Amino acid sequence: MPTALLERPVPPAELDSTAMSDTPPVQPAPELRRLFEEQALVFMDQLYAAALRMTRNPADAGDLVQETYVKAYAAFASFTQGTNLKAWLYRILTNTFINTYRKNQRGPYQGTIDDLEDWQLGGAESLTQGRSTRSAEAEAIDHLPDSDVKAALQSIPEDFRLAVYLADVEGFSYQEVADIMKTPVGTVMSRLHRGRRLLRDLLADYARERGITVPAPTTRSAT
Amino acid sequence: MTDCGCDKAKAELEEYLHRELSDRDFKDITDHLENCEDCTGEHLVGVTLTLKMQKACQEKAPAELRAAILTRLGEPQV
Repeated sequence: MPTALLERPVPPAELDSTAMSDTPPVQPAPELRRLFEEQALVFMDQLYAAALRMTRNPADAGDLVQETYVKAYAAFASFTQGTNLKAWLYRILTNTFINTYRKNQRGPYQGTIDDLEDWQLGGAESLTQGRSTRSAEAEAIDHLPDSDVKAALQSIPEDFRLAVYLADVEGFSYQEVADIMKTPVGTVMSRLHRGRRLLRDLLADYARERGITVPAPTTRSAT
Repeated sequence: MTDCGCDKAKAELEEYLHRELSDRDFKDITDHLENCEDCTGEHLVGVTLTLKMQKACQEKAPAELRAAILTRLGEPQV
């Protein structure tokens, strides 16, 4: 009997991931599975924290992260190695959130928060403050517990919250945030600016409630 | 030394904070901040807000979630 027949046949999957690497299989090969675990699963904590900001509760956040990983895994063969995997995962996370969770939360109103004026959002724009006021404000923000910061993030409009989260917490560039949120860079800048303004005002309120001295906005410089 | 002035600085502080300015503009703002206490104070509030958010948002994924995801991905074929 020829010895060749006794040898272990090469599984088709292995052929796919080596000899035919330029025609990726629909089902991830073992090699891809290892790569995915190595490269993508390390972002789980970050994706979970982002999902918490999006869904605002742990159960939905867990489901959202699961869905994200399942979709990412199914599409992993089409991911170009060497490009930004983190941004790719956040794109899937954000898409999944918008397509499933946001649909459930939103009513028939299709308008966008970007159209609202600042006074409608309750944010005071461009306060003219003295410099002692500013250092007091920075110090007050610094003394707040993490729970206040999260509560403030929870309470600003979703599009602003996402832009702020992606840029400030995750450190994505404006262009990356624009790609993830599928909006022009100008919209990202406006959402960031308005979101941060609202956060600042909210945190100043929280600080006052906690008895941390923050000069009230009414004490804007008299000149 | 030329100073870009408070108007330009205030308008671009957020882009400065996010490192979204050209090298030239970045340097202009940096120079201005060295000499302007008012804009430095404003910048400090911005930096504090960002750092505070980064620190507050560091939740860890629960162990059950990791297990559930690995299950849904299927067993690795060794």
